[in-house]
Amino acid sequence: MKFQSYPVAAYLVYKCKKTRIKTMIKKISLFVVLLAVTLFATAGAVGNTLVLDGSTTVGPLAKTFAAYFTKKYGVRVTVSESGSGNGAKSLINGSCTIATMSRAMKAAEIAAARQKGVNPVASIVALDGLAMVVHPANPVRSLTKAQISSIYRGAITNWREVGGPNTRIVVIQRESNSGTEESFKELVIGKGIPVTGSAETQSSNGSVKSRVSTTLSAIGFLGHGFVDGSVKVIAVNGIFPTVAAVKNGTYPVSRPLYFYTNGQPSGVVKQFVDLPKSAEGKRMITELGFINR
Amino acid sequence: MNIGTRKILDRSFTAVGIGSIIVMAVALMIVVVPIITNGIGAVFFTGTVEHRKMLFSEFKRGDSEGLSSEVASSERYRAKVYEMLTGFEAELETMAPEKKAEYKSKYAQVRAALQALLGPLPGDSAPMLTRFKYGQTRWEKAEEKLHDFLYESKWDNSNPDVMSKEYFVSRAISFQGTSLVKLFPYVKNNLEYMLLPEFTVYWGFITDSSVDSHFFGGIWPEIQGTFFLAVGAMLFAFPLGVVAAVYFTEYARPGFLNSMLRSANSTLAGVPSIVFGMFGLAFFINTMKVSESKSVIAGALTLAIMILPTIIRAAEEAILAVPKTYREASLSLGSTKWNTIATVILPAALPGILTGGVISLGRAAGETAPIIFTAAVSVGSAIGLADVFSSPTPALSWNIYNLASEHEAASQIRHVQYGMVLALVSIVLMLNLSAIVLRARISKKLKG
Repeated sequence: MKFQSYPVAAYLVYKCKKTRIKTMIKKISLFVVLLAVTLFATAGAVGNTLVLDGSTTVGPLAKTFAAYFTKKYGVRVTVSESGSGNGAKSLINGSCTIATMSRAMKAAEIAAARQKGVNPVASIVALDGLAMVVHPANPVRSLTKAQISSIYRGAITNWREVGGPNTRIVVIQRESNSGTEESFKELVIGKGIPVTGSAETQSSNGSVKSRVSTTLSAIGFLGHGFVDGSVKVIAVNGIFPTVAAVKNGTYPVSRPLYFYTNGQPSGVVKQFVDLPKSAEGKRMITELGFINR
Repeated sequence: MNIGTRKILDRSFTAVGIGSIIVMAVALMIVVVPIITNGIGAVFFTGTVEHRKMLFSEFKRGDSEGLSSEVASSERYRAKVYEMLTGFEAELETMAPEKKAEYKSKYAQVRAALQALLGPLPGDSAPMLTRFKYGQTRWEKAEEKLHDFLYESKWDNSNPDVMSKEYFVSRAISFQGTSLVKLFPYVKNNLEYMLLPEFTVYWGFITDSSVDSHFFGGIWPEIQGTFFLAVGAMLFAFPLGVVAAVYFTEYARPGFLNSMLRSANSTLAGVPSIVFGMFGLAFFINTMKVSESKSVIAGALTLAIMILPTIIRAAEEAILAVPKTYREASLSLGSTKWNTIATVILPAALPGILTGGVISLGRAAGETAPIIFTAAVSVGSAIGLADVFSSPTPALSWNIYNLASEHEAASQIRHVQYGMVLALVSIVLMLNLSAIVLRARISKKLKG
C-alpha cells in the first residue's frame, strides 16, 4: 500500500502517537488517584458536625469551645466568623446549628425564622463590656456617654472639644451586619439616629483594633476580649470595663453574647450550649478576657 | 522621517522596553522576597525549650529523655527567678500598706510579663487555654517579650496640644531598694539558659492541625481544604468546559445565538469573584440545598462556575489551533464527525486544554471571595472524603484573611500567617509549573 496523500499519512503518524499519549494520560490519572488517596486517607470521618456561624466578637469563645469540645467528645465543630447578622440569616436558612450573636435577635428576624419553621432559642454565653479604644498616644482618659454619642453623631469632630490635642477625630465604626455595631448604637447613640457620614467602617474587631493602633487620632469600639496593649481603653462616665463593673451593670456599654439554636437544644447541641456553665467553660471565658455571667 | 530620528526613536523604544522589564522584575522581587523570607520562618526558626515541650505534650513528638534533661537544666536557672519572686512576695507583706499597694500593681505587671516569657509560674493554676500553657516558643518573640519585661512603656503627655510620645522606663529602677531589683539583670543575662534556643526545623507546620486557633501547630486542614476545593471545582468544570468548547467550535452554527453565547461566556470570565460567591450562596445553598450548611461541595461548585469560562476559552483556542488537515484526513478515511473529534482533534488539542485547566486550578486554589459564604470556616479539623457533601472546611486563602484581620491575637501569630501565604503561593506556583511541564511533554510526544 502506498500513502501518497499527506492527510492520510498525517493521520496514521498521529494514530501511533495517540497510544503513547494514552499511556501518559494513564500515568497522570494514576498520580491524581494516588494524591487523592493520600489526602483522604489522612482524615478519619467523624460522625455529626456542629456548624457555628456568626459574630466575630464571639469568635474567640466559639473557636476555643470548639477545640475543647472536639477533644473531649470527638464531635467535630466548625466555626465561621461572618458577623451576627449573617449568623441569624444562616440559622433562619437552616445552614448552621448554632448562631453566635453579639446582640439579641430582632423581632423581624424572629418573624422570618418562624415563617420558615425555625424557632430561635437564645442562651447567654458570657457578658462583654464594649471597650471604647483610642491610640495609646491619645492623652484623653475618659469620655462621657454623651460625648461619645456626639462624636459618633458628628457633633464633636475635634479632640480639643473633649480635652485632647487639636486634631480631627477619626471615627471608626463596624459594618451594618455587626452585632457589636447594633449594640453600640442602641446603648450609646440611641436607636434610629444615624452615625456621621465621615465615619470609617471596618468589618471585624481585629481590623478596628489594627486601624486604631495605627491611627493617632482614631476612636473605635471593641469586644473586651480583643483589647491588648496596642490600643488604650478609655473610661466611659469615669468607669473602666472591669469584670466587676460589667457584672454589676455600672459600666454603661455592656451586653450579653448569645448562642441561638433552633428549638430547645438537645443532645450534643445542648452539651455545647451548656459549656459556659461548666467550670472549665467559665475558666476559658475568663482567660479569653470575657466576663462570666 | 530621516534616519537619525528613526534611530533615536528605535533606541528610546528599546530603552523603555528594558526599563519596564526591570521595573516588573523589581516589583516581583519586592513582593516575592518577603513572602519567602517570612514564610520560611514558619518552618525554620530558632525554637526554645517551650516549643519542644509543646510538641511533646500536644503531638507526642520528640525524645522524652532529652527533653526532660533539657527541662531540668532550664529549671535550675528558673528556680532562682521563682526564689526571687517568693522572696519579694514575703517582703511585700512586711511593707507599709500604701507602699504595698503601690508595689502590688507594678509587681502584677512584672509577673504577667514573666508568664508571657516563661509560661505559668509556680503557684499559678494550670491554664485552660493552650496559648497560656507555654512560654515563648520562638526565640525572636522571646526577645520582644524580654524587652516588655525589662522596660515599661509610658506616654509623655506634658504638652496637651499634641499627641503623647512613647518612652520606656526600666522596671528595675521602679523597684530600686527592694529585693526584686536583682531579678531584672538576672533574667536578662540568663534568658538563654532558661529557654535554651536552638535551630529548629518544624515540618509539622505543614502536616499538623492547629492547636488553640493557630497559636501552635500547623496548617494541614487548610492545605487539605484548598486541595479539596480546587480539585472538586476541576472535576465539575473541566469536562463541562471541554464539552462546551467542542460545541462552540465543531457543532454550533455561526449566527446571532452563537455569538451571543460566546460574548456571554467572555463576560462571565470578567465577572468579579465575589459575585460568584453570592450566587453560590443563593443558588447552591439556599435554593438547591446541595448541603445543609456551607460545604466543600457547595464551594467547589461555586468555584467551578467561576473558572468555567476560562476553561471554555482555553479549550476553544486549543481546538481551533489543530491543523485543518488532521480533520480532513480523518474525514476522508470515512470516519464520522464524532469519531474525528474524539480520536483526532481532542488528543491534538490536549496540551492547550490541559494548560488552561491547570491554570484555572491555580486560580480556584487562590480565590477567597467565592468560598467565604459557601465553604470556608475559620476553625475546623481536617475532613474526610465522606464529609465533603456535608462539612465546610478551612482553606488557605480564607484563613490568611482571617488571621490578618479577624483573629483576636493577629499580631502574635504573624509567622503562621506568613507560612500560610508561602504555602498558598507555592501550591499555585507548582500547579502552574506542572502545566508548563505537561504541555512541553505532550507536545514533544505529538511531534514524535
